[in-house]
Amino acid sequence: MASILLLGAAALVLLGVAFAVTRLVIGQTVIDRIAAVDMLTVTSISMIALYAHVSDRFIYLDVALVYGVLSFLGVMAVARYLERGL
Amino acid sequence: MVQLLVLILCGSIVISAILAVCLSDLVQATVSAGLASLFAAVCYVLLAAPDVAMTEASIGSGLSTIIFLYAIRRTRAAGE
Repeated sequence: MASILLLGAAALVLLGVAFAVTRLVIGQTVIDRIAAVDMLTVTSISMIALYAHVSDRFIYLDVALVYGVLSFLGVMAVARYLERGL
Repeated sequence: MVQLLVLILCGSIVISAILAVCLSDLVQATVSAGLASLFAAVCYVLLAAPDVAMTEASIGSGLSTIIFLYAIRRTRAAGE
């Protein structure tokens, strides 16, 4: 049961990566690409957390934590740049 | 399973790097370069190197994107 759930979660994460990369490639404006990058960061954090559970190494959750803080900062920096702030 | 995931991530790194080279808008190219670094960080985690992944996530994807945007803004303000 648990392995079926994990497999479904991995399939959903891969689907999310595929859709976000498609949006990144065909998106014309910078807003599309920034939204795709933001979705990819969230998907990557869930991928790292999933892999930490699968491989039983909970040190990987620290990476997901640090990445969650820093990706938020990066997206906020790009948004501030587009509003002529930074 | 992990090998398939690493292969998909490597393909995404290549796509992001090609986009970062080919895009004409500098902001979009910067975002794509940060994305290549993001995929590299996830790839490092899957290859069992969490400390390298943490450094790559903090410096490559966070700090360098901000510094690039700052440099683009300053050079555009000086050029105009």
